[in-house]
Amino acid sequence: MMVSVVTFMSCELDNYDMPNAVLFGSIVDAESGELLEQDIINGTQIEYIELGFDDPATQYLVVKNDGTFRNNLVFAGTYTVRPVRGNFFPIDKKEIQVKGDTQIDFQVQPYIRVKNVSIAKAGDKVIATFNLEQTGPNNVRKIGLYAHPEAAVGEPLRKVAVEKVLNEPTDPDATFSLEIDLPSHPTLAPGHPYFFRVGALYDAPEAKLNYAKAVRLAL
Amino acid sequence: MKNKTIRTTIGLIMLLFLSEGCSKNFLDRMPTDKLDGNTLFANPMGVKVYMANLYGQLPIEDFKFYDRGWSYVEWMAPSVLTMAFLTDEAVHSQWDVMLNNGGNSWWDPGYKLIRDVNLLIDIIPTLGLTESEEKSMLGEGAFIRAFTYYGLAKRYGGVPLIRETQVYDGDVEKLKVPRSTEQETWDFVLSECDLAIANLPDTWLGGERRATKWAAYALKSRAALHAASIAKHWARSPLSGPAVDQGLVGIPAGEANRYYEACIDASAAIMESGKFGLFKPNPTNPQEAAENYRVLFEYPNAAGNEPIFIKGFARTGVDGHNYDVWYNPNQTANGWGYPGRLNPSLEFVDLYESYTNPGHSAPIVTTEDGNVNDYNGYRKDRSYLRFENPYDIFKDKDARLWGTVVLPGTEWKGETIIIQGGYVQPDGEAQIEIDNAITVDGTTYYSYGAPDWTQYSGFNPANIQMTRSGFSYKKMLSSQPITPADRQSITDWMEFRYAEILLNYAEAVAESGFAANNAQLTAEQAINALRRRAGHTVDIPLTIESVIRERRVELAFENKRFWDLIRRREFHTLLNNTPRRALVPLLDLRTSPATYIFVRRTVSRTITRTFNPRHYYVSIPGIGANGLVQNPQY
Repeated sequence: MMVSVVTFMSCELDNYDMPNAVLFGSIVDAESGELLEQDIINGTQIEYIELGFDDPATQYLVVKNDGTFRNNLVFAGTYTVRPVRGNFFPIDKKEIQVKGDTQIDFQVQPYIRVKNVSIAKAGDKVIATFNLEQTGPNNVRKIGLYAHPEAAVGEPLRKVAVEKVLNEPTDPDATFSLEIDLPSHPTLAPGHPYFFRVGALYDAPEAKLNYAKAVRLAL
Repeated sequence: MKNKTIRTTIGLIMLLFLSEGCSKNFLDRMPTDKLDGNTLFANPMGVKVYMANLYGQLPIEDFKFYDRGWSYVEWMAPSVLTMAFLTDEAVHSQWDVMLNNGGNSWWDPGYKLIRDVNLLIDIIPTLGLTESEEKSMLGEGAFIRAFTYYGLAKRYGGVPLIRETQVYDGDVEKLKVPRSTEQETWDFVLSECDLAIANLPDTWLGGERRATKWAAYALKSRAALHAASIAKHWARSPLSGPAVDQGLVGIPAGEANRYYEACIDASAAIMESGKFGLFKPNPTNPQEAAENYRVLFEYPNAAGNEPIFIKGFARTGVDGHNYDVWYNPNQTANGWGYPGRLNPSLEFVDLYESYTNPGHSAPIVTTEDGNVNDYNGYRKDRSYLRFENPYDIFKDKDARLWGTVVLPGTEWKGETIIIQGGYVQPDGEAQIEIDNAITVDGTTYYSYGAPDWTQYSGFNPANIQMTRSGFSYKKMLSSQPITPADRQSITDWMEFRYAEILLNYAEAVAESGFAANNAQLTAEQAINALRRRAGHTVDIPLTIESVIRERRVELAFENKRFWDLIRRREFHTLLNNTPRRALVPLLDLRTSPATYIFVRRTVSRTITRTFNPRHYYVSIPGIGANGLVQNPQY
């Protein structure tokens, strides 16, 4: 009896205010002005820290495949924000005021631009060709062609991956080619549509893959 | 009525206690069932008991170890899981075992042990020991401290180094010690090993299983190799953040060869001592080699001079482990309800060499086209290789495979272990992992090789004790019938054995290119000595690939593979959307008499695994209070 009285006493209504602001934006290739393609799983994250506390917790936002991000439940205030562990050269954090709908776009230099992509079905193969324009001197670790029923396809989310280890700098004029042999991958069922995406991984600490947009093909 | 009286009486007594509890000297009373420090250390026996307790706390990753800690298995049941599940060595018959967000913490137990050993080290000079007793006890203290910091460093990177007992004087800030760099931490481990080596005896007169000079050399060999690997292979998966900027995790690449050479020196000291060697190094044939290898782990105390440091298990039902009850194949469960949990994987079985092709892994070829990369399951139109007995497909594979794994159709504890995934009907259609029977020419055949589930050990999805990889496990298991109860196994654990020292030496030489003192040749001889003990007759050259393959097969299931993948930064490339693989034996009824064919396939009911690079280190607990810098990405 005493126990239950004590228990009931400790309950009060939570009367704190709801988060009242929205933080959204995108990661943009500074040169082309285009959104920079990403991975959702183990991809680039937006690190944000609310200022004004002794020991503020670091919070993270996941970036969507198309390079945009959004959190509709943020407290208004002053934050430092920066994208981390991405597929572009690291940039400094920015201090921003978040109030109402707050947009922040990060202009970055991608490690690699995947260009002139062609992904098409030819016979019982899916063949991808593309060029790589790397923006730094390091090696390109590997290139890959990934397939999955979801549009969010990428290296972490794939039914089939055909990868090639390069470990060398690439020539922007060289054409790379990767192909998926369909009969030896019965997980890609004939008659169904799948998304295909090519990517390349630059040799930098914690680098993520750079991609071209996914392509939908009916097999 | 009677109960009510009792309750009232108890109530009254309690009331009496409560009202009387605050007598004057209450807080000054000494407990009668506990000793204080002075009394304990005043007695040589007390020191011995204290020392035994310290050994008991050592982070020896034995039969009870799982997921970088011990807590999980201790509350559930020892050995219910083991590290092999987290690597590519094995798959669990029921669960998809995943790394628990970087692993269980070993922070609090580690620092408790550090405090306990520091108390002992401080008090040694006051004990009035003889010079030699004092020397060996200082050596033991250093060994225990080195082992403890080794356990902390490989999990957390750089950690606070508490070199003497801390005293609380009311100011908690004084007790907070910042993290040292990862390099300083490993250097401290190595210097403590040196202190232990300088002070510990060759052997203990009474034959006690206490640390010796050679155990300290072995620890140094292992720790130096770990540190060297991090320095050399950091770039395979670099991390970033404050912990990296301050050097709390990561070691500069330029330090790699210094650590490799420390490993080479420590290993060479053991190899040149003439006190250790391989158990039965020259078998006459592979069958003998397989049995020698198996016996080595069943009876480590009778294994000649191969063991360097053994942890004993003595009391059944109290501190015994459970390898035998969890991991025997279903047919030898002897009434226990949950056997068959540890299923060696096909990728692991593939790894072993064949005597017909020395120096190369020999993946199990199942089809005439020889394609070992097709995991798409049975196809009617493929030409499968046919075998009279299910184990014929493993002919000529390294003897250690036969000593580690229960292969389909082989004998174990007097039983033929039947592992069969289904059959192919005379019309070519297959029944796989479906409980069924078919009669052909008057004979009835069963999917799993026998009519009743107690008579076979594989694949039936309705029984969680059936292997789903096609293999069962036997290394380190007792060959005696099991006692079907908790904590009955008292097989001893070899924490350090000579084979590991040879492999540490060979890896350090191959990675560093060290060539002084004829090291290249000695390293080549080291791996070939292990291979000869396993029935090989043709020597192979020293390459890093051959050393790693040799290490994986020789030290399989000794909880080494996990840390090898961590220190060599290979986990994230090994596990990247990676499926687990099985070898499914099928009875093919298209031929008469029926023959066995095999299908390489993804293990049923499993998902793919991916290793997150942040898990190369464990998160530091309690940073809000202890003020330490957290590891990357936690």
